[in-house]
Amino acid sequence: MSDWGWVGFAYLVVYGTLGAYVVSLLVRRRRARTGPR
Amino acid sequence: MKARPLDVAAAGTLLFALGAGLLVPPDAVQGDLQRIMYVHVPSAWLAYLSFTVTLIGSVTYLVTRRMRWDHLAGAAAEVGVVFTGLALATGMIWGKPVWGVWWTWDARLVLTAVLFFVYLGYLALRRSIDEPEVRARRAAVLGIVAVLQIPVVHFSVTWWRGLHQPPTVLRPDNPQIDSPLLFALLMGVAAFTVVFAALVSRRKELAEIEDAALAADPGEEVAGSAVAAPRLEGGTA
Repeated sequence: MSDWGWVGFAYLVVYGTLGAYVVSLLVRRRRARTGPR
Repeated sequence: MKARPLDVAAAGTLLFALGAGLLVPPDAVQGDLQRIMYVHVPSAWLAYLSFTVTLIGSVTYLVTRRMRWDHLAGAAAEVGVVFTGLALATGMIWGKPVWGVWWTWDARLVLTAVLFFVYLGYLALRRSIDEPEVRARRAAVLGIVAVLQIPVVHFSVTWWRGLHQPPTVLRPDNPQIDSPLLFALLMGVAAFTVVFAALVSRRKELAEIEDAALAADPGEEVAGSAVAAPRLEGGTA
């Protein structure tokens, strides 16, 4: 893999993880407000 | 849910840091691979900051017994685990092309992995106790003890010889880094700090909603309650 490939991989992991964590917070918040289904 | 100014600031600074990290000149030795530093180092620093906030929340809870400080400690620890995981992951991705291996038993790497698992244990402890006051007290003790790892992790690169490079910026003499690269690095740190503040704020709020729901309906099922001890028929063991 090229240098830019490694850089892109690292940035994808970081930004993807932060985005996924934000989504998990939103889902947990909605679940806490509405109760378990 | 409406976006708050802090959320918008987090997204904006993150985009700006992304641009800075990708547009500054490449490093003279490592070339473009050096750009991984602009996400790796801020992740590690924010992990330190997160667990320091957990320490502050833990100590303040034990002094005041106010649940808001326990919520802060728990929220910062969860976000800190995310950043520690990112520091480990980006370190491995950087290590493969530069060192030739994904992982090596270097002191910094091992101690960071231990830090990660200890705080995973902290989160597991929190989830294992339903009673908020008991949970807060026990988690506070662990939150205070666990933070002792941070100076050991940080100074491990100077105390033990290994593959990981010594500190570049946070060192006793002047930072050993050119200005454009230092700018991109500091932008990454600034952006991740704003992201940290936004995430901790949201996670703390979630903890308050969860505790309020538990107080309103103590019989409500919580995580782990589905796993009950087996009922033995016939009364014999």
